[in-house]
Amino acid sequence: MVKVNDVEVPEGLHYSKDFEWVKIEGDKIRIGITDHAQKQLREIVFAELPSEGDTTTQNEPYGTVESVKAVSDLIAPLSGTIEQVNSEVQDNPELLNEDPYDKGWLLVLAPSNMDELKNMMDHAKAVEWHKSL
Amino acid sequence: MPRKIVIVGAHAAGVDAASAARKTDRSAEITLISKEKHVGYSRCGLPFVIGGHIANFNDLIVFPQSFYQMMKLNLKTETTVTSINPANKTVEVATKAGATETIPYDSLILTTGAYSFIPPIKGKEKQGVYSLRTLEDGQQIDKAIRDGAKNAAVIGAGLIGLETAIALKERGLNTTVVELLPQVLPVMLDKEMAKIVHAMLTEKGLKILIGKGLDEILGTDKVTSISVAGEQIPADIVVVATGVRASTGLATKAGITTGETHAIKTNARMKTNIEDIYAAGDCAESINIVTKKPACPQLGTVAVRHGKVAGINAAGGYALFTGVLGSAVTQLFDTQIGVTGLTEFFAKREGINTVTGTITSKTRADYYPGAKPIKVKIVVEKESQRIIGAQIIGGEEATQRINALSFGIQKQMTIRELAKADTAYAPPLCETWEPMVLAAEMVLMKLR
Repeated sequence: MVKVNDVEVPEGLHYSKDFEWVKIEGDKIRIGITDHAQKQLREIVFAELPSEGDTTTQNEPYGTVESVKAVSDLIAPLSGTIEQVNSEVQDNPELLNEDPYDKGWLLVLAPSNMDELKNMMDHAKAVEWHKSL
Repeated sequence: MPRKIVIVGAHAAGVDAASAARKTDRSAEITLISKEKHVGYSRCGLPFVIGGHIANFNDLIVFPQSFYQMMKLNLKTETTVTSINPANKTVEVATKAGATETIPYDSLILTTGAYSFIPPIKGKEKQGVYSLRTLEDGQQIDKAIRDGAKNAAVIGAGLIGLETAIALKERGLNTTVVELLPQVLPVMLDKEMAKIVHAMLTEKGLKILIGKGLDEILGTDKVTSISVAGEQIPADIVVVATGVRASTGLATKAGITTGETHAIKTNARMKTNIEDIYAAGDCAESINIVTKKPACPQLGTVAVRHGKVAGINAAGGYALFTGVLGSAVTQLFDTQIGVTGLTEFFAKREGINTVTGTITSKTRADYYPGAKPIKVKIVVEKESQRIIGAQIIGGEEATQRINALSFGIQKQMTIRELAKADTAYAPPLCETWEPMVLAAEMVLMKLR
């Protein structure tokens, strides 16, 4: 596990500058928020997520996460159709703090244009970017 | 049209106001404007960086850039708000490069803070004379130490003065503290409590002169010594810590009213006399819970609580600020010192008839290794028998006792209720009889 300033930046993921990660799973992608994001927000109390069948647009908000002192929009890393929503996160938002890269995943998307992935950072770039935060 | 919220200042009050505003209104355009380069840092931590307890000044930055991005807060640094136009609801700003801009607002929050008040001392313009308010002030003092300063003088024995003096001592400088009033920590402690702190500081090697004014800062260009009541004391560094004053120039120029503490007058929603303009933090006045009079204790905890209320209201929500008790704690060497509410001295000055109780006890069971002394003083209003203030000096565990007594004062607890309090006990953690309860017993005995 790669750590930058105590923040986990796992390999094998793509990263957006809106603090989201993307994992490619065949022709689908799984997305969530980064360790840096959850550490900034602290204990997350609410996660407002869209519904299955809704669509996302790259760089547009698709939901929000809120903690005692902060609130942040969730910005879609890619455009697509939502195939799965992690209902466990809605019931137990603390999963976002405890396990942002695994149990705290947010959506599974069928991307409409995989080319959008080129707007994201690969792991090496993400590590460099995290150093600047 | 999204609501436009402009916040002047971006430290404790400003950033907390921005966060609260964002939580209240998800679509508002929120702009923070600061004349400083470094924003969102904890100035309370500055003496502890100088003292070497914290590695870097940058460690004090509480809110990194990513926080502003995640919260969609537009941050303008090194930008000065030059005027407010309440009629047009705009502010004029000037960047460091000299460019000017007019920024409209629907709600404006002033968190302009305070500035170090330097009394008209002869020689105060000499090189080597500092105050400690900003990160840059801290860096300058740190540099002076690195450059080989051997002797230091601190003017003022309040919280900042003593914390700074200890930091200088910890860095190996011979340090003298000069206080015009006849005791250390004159705002926090009654005289007999201050004497304990004074003796401890002297024992740890600080030279403390109380009841003495500074005549002059001496030296040609650079300070070499100070003159106190005719005595010449060598000093390569002089830190003036004689208090801060609310920064209200921008506000008063726009017709915003200040109160008797010279800070911006606010109502319970932190609103000023001008519609849609709020104030929060060190520049804003609020009400003391005990005296019901205007107060401006200029503490970090007050700033963030002010900021939250101002931010919610400025964003269209509803929140009230319920007042201040001036609750404060510090650690001087290994001794913790705390206060809440009124000291006996300030209560008497307000014409309040008081009864007090002071108990010396231990922080753990007397037989438990490492037990440290603790002294609790409680001040009670005689007729209502309500607790109106408390002071604690102890080796550990002062803060949460101060907080407990603060809650008691806020709930208008009587001393009889405190004497019956249900408290916890385990030998490594505290005594069987809680010293706050024993102090309450003492007051009850005096009231018999």
